[in-house]
Amino acid sequence: MRDHAVRFAKVSKRFRLGETHDSLRDLLAAGLRRLAGGGSGRKGRSSFWALENVDFAVGRGESVGIIGPNGAGKSTILKLLAGILRPDRGSVAVHGRLAALIEIGAGFHGDLTGRENVFLNGAILGMNRREIRGKLDAIVAFAGLERFMDMPVKRYSSGMYARLGFSIAAHVDPEVLLVDEVLSVGDAVFRLRCIERMHELVRSGTTLVFVTHSLDQMQSICPRALVLAKGRCVFDGKSRAAVGHYQAAMSEEYVAHPTDLRAEDCGRERALELSGLRLLDDVGTEVVWVRAREPIHVELKLNVRRPIRRLVVELNMRASSSENLLSVNSGRDGLRVCGEVGEQTILLSMPGIPVCSGQYFWNVRVWDAERGTTEIDTQFKYPLVIDDEGRATGTLCVDHEWSITGRGAGEEDVEKARGGVVLLAAGAGAAGE
Amino acid sequence: MSVRGAVRAERVRTFWSDLLRHRGLLLSLAERDIRVRYKQSMLGIAWAVLLPLSMMVVFTFVFTRAIDASAVLDVRMPYAVFAYTGLVPWTFFSMSLGGCVNSLVANRNLVTKVYFPREVFPLAAVAGAFVDFCVAGAVLAGLMVYFNLTGDWSFAPHATILFLPVVVAVQVAITIGIGMLLAMGNLFYRDVRQVFGVVIQLWMFVSAVVVPVPRDGSLLARLIAMNPMVPIIGAYRDCIIHGHLPDAAGFGYAAAAAAAMLVAGAVWFRKASYRFAECI
Repeated sequence: MRDHAVRFAKVSKRFRLGETHDSLRDLLAAGLRRLAGGGSGRKGRSSFWALENVDFAVGRGESVGIIGPNGAGKSTILKLLAGILRPDRGSVAVHGRLAALIEIGAGFHGDLTGRENVFLNGAILGMNRREIRGKLDAIVAFAGLERFMDMPVKRYSSGMYARLGFSIAAHVDPEVLLVDEVLSVGDAVFRLRCIERMHELVRSGTTLVFVTHSLDQMQSICPRALVLAKGRCVFDGKSRAAVGHYQAAMSEEYVAHPTDLRAEDCGRERALELSGLRLLDDVGTEVVWVRAREPIHVELKLNVRRPIRRLVVELNMRASSSENLLSVNSGRDGLRVCGEVGEQTILLSMPGIPVCSGQYFWNVRVWDAERGTTEIDTQFKYPLVIDDEGRATGTLCVDHEWSITGRGAGEEDVEKARGGVVLLAAGAGAAGE
Repeated sequence: MSVRGAVRAERVRTFWSDLLRHRGLLLSLAERDIRVRYKQSMLGIAWAVLLPLSMMVVFTFVFTRAIDASAVLDVRMPYAVFAYTGLVPWTFFSMSLGGCVNSLVANRNLVTKVYFPREVFPLAAVAGAFVDFCVAGAVLAGLMVYFNLTGDWSFAPHATILFLPVVVAVQVAITIGIGMLLAMGNLFYRDVRQVFGVVIQLWMFVSAVVVPVPRDGSLLARLIAMNPMVPIIGAYRDCIIHGHLPDAAGFGYAAAAAAAMLVAGAVWFRKASYRFAECI
């Protein structure tokens, strides 16, 4: 029966929305309101299912990634596995010593020194004193904090804090390791070491369940992935194939909850407003995810209330970081746009955006160039999912070609040299292979 | 055994094995509490002694110098000894409960991010206070030597002191029981902490800690007689000072109340603990 390390059997978990009484006074007030027969007094007593009928098993030594949009239920799964939450339906079983890294340094106490915290945190993660003493040097060395072990951690920088936290967790030697989106801290070198350490653990037989937003990290460690969307498992299989499902889930999420355009109105009478923003493909259908380098058209609808002699329209695109990947601006392009009262449609066409798979965000800004006032700024609220079919990772996705000469350049070896990537000349046309 | 009975037995078993497996953590958390309490303080652990000692001085001053309370204070020992023997176990009681009340809320990070049996939090709070209790208790011996030397009062140790572990066990049981209820009560409703602050003050004055409780058959006296802390605090004085075992009826009642509290606290706490992470 013990052929798998984790069994998550038809699990559903419900959370109550709002209305958990924070004080007795609220409770009394709510009770009185109910007595008074208002009935409507209790607002938002509804609940929602954070997970619905999710069913999977993880074999011993297997590593599985869990991806999905925010709020899909990824962390809820980890918390259920860790025993922090209890399912409303179904059952959860974990066989073997478990360590959950849901937050780095949870349980650190600022007043204690680094060394004292290693012992405390080690105990929290399930190690005994002798074990911790034996691993202390390795933990300290991994974190690179030899000189700071007698300093209270309240004086640590956040990077030091995170390094120590991960280092302790990485040395627990669990049979089942749960990791939740914790590797986004620390510098690049440390992140790399964390990934290496996770590889090491997996190689030595640790079962890993890894929740992340980084498709790169996930693919590099986990051959298998689950894709969650709105509390359901929509895909369970090879992680390369999972990426596409992830993006589809993202798009669906967006179509179901489109950003409210009017939310930008902030009281002041605007000279114009953005009444519509759509991304269209070549045949004019609205899309929220496109293939890399496939033509894309951005359609803006402006509702002009007061004539404006000179408008400047700008579109910016970012990944999650704070730097623009792309910024096009009608003023820089030497285009003169007049705002005449009524509805005006502006169409911006691009032959394709050569970036890697991922979620990107648009911002639209419109100025009145004459008065120098910003009339519209949508603040990077519009998502766009771009899919290059997992062919490259990084930022840019450029056409590339391999050629291998010499002996042994047979079909098989070519395959190896590409690390399993089955693509030569990439491009919109070649997508079908 | 019925299915339900079997399930219950299984639950009780996991409960104990869970706790046993995490005893190291319990000690680590208790150690953390103690370390943190005395970090960045010049006197450190000496505060464990200074706190009840200074309380003793305050009450001794109030009841023997500032006001004439000789009518109430028929205590058959120097008032300072009476007060100290009451204050040391009481400080243990109130400090433990004070720690318990906040134990879950103050460790929100651990409650929502790491799993281990949640009982560890209130238990660690009690364990942390227990260390202070032992230190402060040891000072009592010094106090007695002092009174013997000054000749105000002569004291010889009694064999009944061997009964002390039973008294301590009963007190620990009732403390854990109430502490668990307070910890989870405060998790759901933060008012519990405020109410606790007031109640614990009043409770001290009806527990024969610094003033004997009235035994005149009045309604108040009968109400106070229901307070299990009266026989517990009394038992310390009986065993250490008076040299006789505590009165069976009174102490038996306290022990039964302690057992009931412990079971009620543990069962209720465990039942609610699955909701802690969601409701905190």
